[in-house]
Amino acid sequence: MSPEPSSPYALGARVRIVDLKKAGHVRTPIYVREKIGTIDYFCGAFENPEERAYGRVGSGRIPLYRVRVMQRDLWPDYGGADNDSLLLEIYHHWLRPT
Amino acid sequence: MRPDHPEHDHAHPHDHNHAHGPHPTREDDDVVLSYGEARFLALKGLLIGKGIITADEVRRQHEINERGTPHQGARMVAKAWVDPAFKARMLKDAKAAAIELGIEVTEAELMAIENTPTCHNIIVCTLCSCYPRSLLGEPPAWYVSKAYRSRAVREPRKVLREFGLSFPDAVEVRVHDSNADLRYVVLPMRPPGTEAASEAELADLISRDCLVGTALPGRNTVS
Amino acid sequence: MTDRLITDIGGLPADAVPREEVPQLFWEKHMIAMFNVLWSKGIFNLDEFRRMVEMTPLEEYKKSNFYGRRIDGMSELLIEKKIINRDELAARTEEILRMGTRDHVS
Repeated sequence: MSPEPSSPYALGARVRIVDLKKAGHVRTPIYVREKIGTIDYFCGAFENPEERAYGRVGSGRIPLYRVRVMQRDLWPDYGGADNDSLLLEIYHHWLRPT
Repeated sequence: MRPDHPEHDHAHPHDHNHAHGPHPTREDDDVVLSYGEARFLALKGLLIGKGIITADEVRRQHEINERGTPHQGARMVAKAWVDPAFKARMLKDAKAAAIELGIEVTEAELMAIENTPTCHNIIVCTLCSCYPRSLLGEPPAWYVSKAYRSRAVREPRKVLREFGLSFPDAVEVRVHDSNADLRYVVLPMRPPGTEAASEAELADLISRDCLVGTALPGRNTVS
Repeated sequence: MTDRLITDIGGLPADAVPREEVPQLFWEKHMIAMFNVLWSKGIFNLDEFRRMVEMTPLEEYKKSNFYGRRIDGMSELLIEKKIINRDELAARTEEILRMGTRDHVS
C-alpha cells in the first residue's frame, strides 16, 4: 500500500478509505473500508484513539477529516435515492489519494 | 476471563434498621435490585473506600448531567430561526453559539447540521452511542439500539419511514455517523405557518427527535 | 477482510427499530455520573473504555444492553488497571444482592 501523503487533503479531494487490517481498537467502520469518497471538511487535529485506547496519551495529534461517500457506492443493493450520501470522520492514516 | 452474569431478579425487602430513620423514596424503590445495579453499588463503594472518588463528586456530576435536555437544543434552533446572524454563528461554531444562550456544551466538538429543501440529515453512532449529551441529555433507547445503529447507515429511508417520515428522491437523505470526535445536532427547517410565533413558542415545536433527524418540527400554526 | 469488532455493526441486518421510551433508572443516571467523574479525573479515557467493550465476548455483547455494557466495561477496565480486583468486586456485589440494600455509600 502506498504511504500516506504528508500534506493535508483539500476540500473536495477524492480519497480512498483503506483497510489497514489493523487489529485492536480502531474507529474506521468496516462498511466504509476500501470505499471512495470526497473530503467534505477538515475537522482539525486530534489524538489518535488507536493509541489512547492503550493508555498512550499525549502523543501527537493527527488530522481528522469528514469524508462523504455516496450510498450507492457503499451498498450494492442500496434502495434509496441516487443522491443519498453518508458522512463520517476518518483519520489521516486511513486515507489515500485516488 | 469475564465471569458469566445473567441478570438476577432478587426481590428483597429493604433493610431499614438504621438509627437515622427511613430513607427518602428514590426513583428506583419500586424496581427490583438487578445485578447491574448491585455491581454499580459495589463498584462505587469500593472506589469511594479506596479514595478514588467521593460520593459528592458523583452527586455533583449527576446534577451537571441533568442540565442536558432536548429543550436546550430546541432553544438554539428557535433562536436560529428568528435570528439569521445567530444561525450563521451556530452553523460555524455550535459550542460558542450555545454559550450565548447560557448552555455549556462539554463535548470536544459540536456541529450543527442544517436541513434544507434538498437535504434531510439524520445522525447515528454505529460503533457505540456518541450523542451530544451535555446539550440534549441522554439519547433515547432507540438511538442506542443495535437495530438503529445497524440500519440507519444502510437503509435510512426505511428507518425514517418507521418514524413516520418519507422524502421524495429529489431530497437527499444524508446520514452522519459520529464515529470520532465530532458530535452533531440537526438544525431542522422552520415549519410554514409559524411566522407569528414567539421564540419560546417555536422552541416548543422542536422535539428531541427533530434534533437527531427522525422527526420534523410540529406544523401546528401558533397564534 | 479484517475481523470485525463486535461493536462495528453498521450495515448488518436487523429488525425494526424499537421505539418504546425507556426512562433512565436512578442507578443508571448515577452510574453514568460516576463514569464521567472517573474519566474527568483521568483514571481512564473514553478510548480505553471503548476498547474494553470491544473485548466483550460476542454472545455476551449480543445479549447486553447499553447500561450493562457501561458498568461491565468500566469494571473490567478498572480491574485491568489494578485499581480494583475481580474478587473484591464480585464479593461486594454478592453481598449487596444478598442483603437487598440500595443504601448508597455516603
